[in-house]
Amino acid sequence: MEKKKQKILMIEDDPFTRKLYRNKLNLAGFDVDEAISGEEGLNKVRAEKPDLILLDIILPRKSGLDVLIELKGNEKTKDIPVIILSVLGQVQDIKKGLTLGAKDYLVKSEITISEVVAKARECLKNKKL
Amino acid sequence: MRKVDPGKIKMAGIVSIVSHQFKTPLAIIKGYLEVLLSGDCGEINVSQREYLSDALENVKRMSCLIENLLDISRIEEGQFKVKLRAVALEKITEQVLKNLSTWIKANNCDIVLKKPKRLPRVLADPDKICQVVQNLVTNAVIYKTSRGKVEITLKKVNKEVLFICKDNGVGISRKDFDRVFSKFYRSEDAIELNPSGSGLGLYISKAIIELSKGKIWFTKNKKRGTVVTFSLSVAD
Repeated sequence: MEKKKQKILMIEDDPFTRKLYRNKLNLAGFDVDEAISGEEGLNKVRAEKPDLILLDIILPRKSGLDVLIELKGNEKTKDIPVIILSVLGQVQDIKKGLTLGAKDYLVKSEITISEVVAKARECLKNKKL
Repeated sequence: MRKVDPGKIKMAGIVSIVSHQFKTPLAIIKGYLEVLLSGDCGEINVSQREYLSDALENVKRMSCLIENLLDISRIEEGQFKVKLRAVALEKITEQVLKNLSTWIKANNCDIVLKKPKRLPRVLADPDKICQVVQNLVTNAVIYKTSRGKVEITLKKVNKEVLFICKDNGVGISRKDFDRVFSKFYRSEDAIELNPSGSGLGLYISKAIIELSKGKIWFTKNKKRGTVVTFSLSVAD
């Protein structure tokens, strides 16, 4: 029987970034779902219960930080690990994201795509399917 | 929604908006180049690898430039904040030297750190001071003419700690001692040795040191090269 893949939800409004990470994460053996706004992301989390969320901050309608607050404030979603993946790299941005409960905060310009995959893998290492 | 009068948008604000807009496409180009270089899309030959690596290096350069422009717009809008607390300047310096060690070696340069056994902590924002130390060390290594020799000294003088970085590089003429802290200013020697420099690092470093209530200045190295010093108040 084929092993069930771990599911990553990527909440990201930029289509090129989604394509880039989708392909790399698929190659790494993950199942990838996508949402292009904060609202859509929250709906998909509730419906599909992903194992990990990759979350952008600058998103239409509802920002990534607002999404994070809602996720961490909900009993059903608070334990889903969230990795923030953003172009915002100021110390205060990073501190804010981590304080709100993100497992990690990665700055797109400072990290390679392979390192993002490694972080996702590490995050999901001990998570049972 | 609040209406914005375009006439009232300050230049610094425009730089900030434009810089942020650049960040996402640049991060995407960087990611695509990394994927191509990783071989995920098929094997690439040596020459293709070289061109792709060069393109990636230049994307990284552009990202640094954008970060510098954003820092400048924050400085000019009064939004550049430092959170002062007691920090160990020697630890920050050692960490910067450790992080840069491979690059320093590759650039044919020797760096010596001289410090007393005990040095009081200084009032500074650790992340921002790290940026200053990195900028000064990088300059000392880049602007050399032969094998680089850099000496960094940390010492307490009255109620301040001094960071003194002495190099044997191309040097700065006395008339340029203040001008090098101007935005985008680059001496002819600097342009010749490092055409890709932006002329923003020292401007930002000066702003950080002054916001930390310290001073930064250049003096002539007696033999050859430059001595750049910054001072910060003792915290303890």
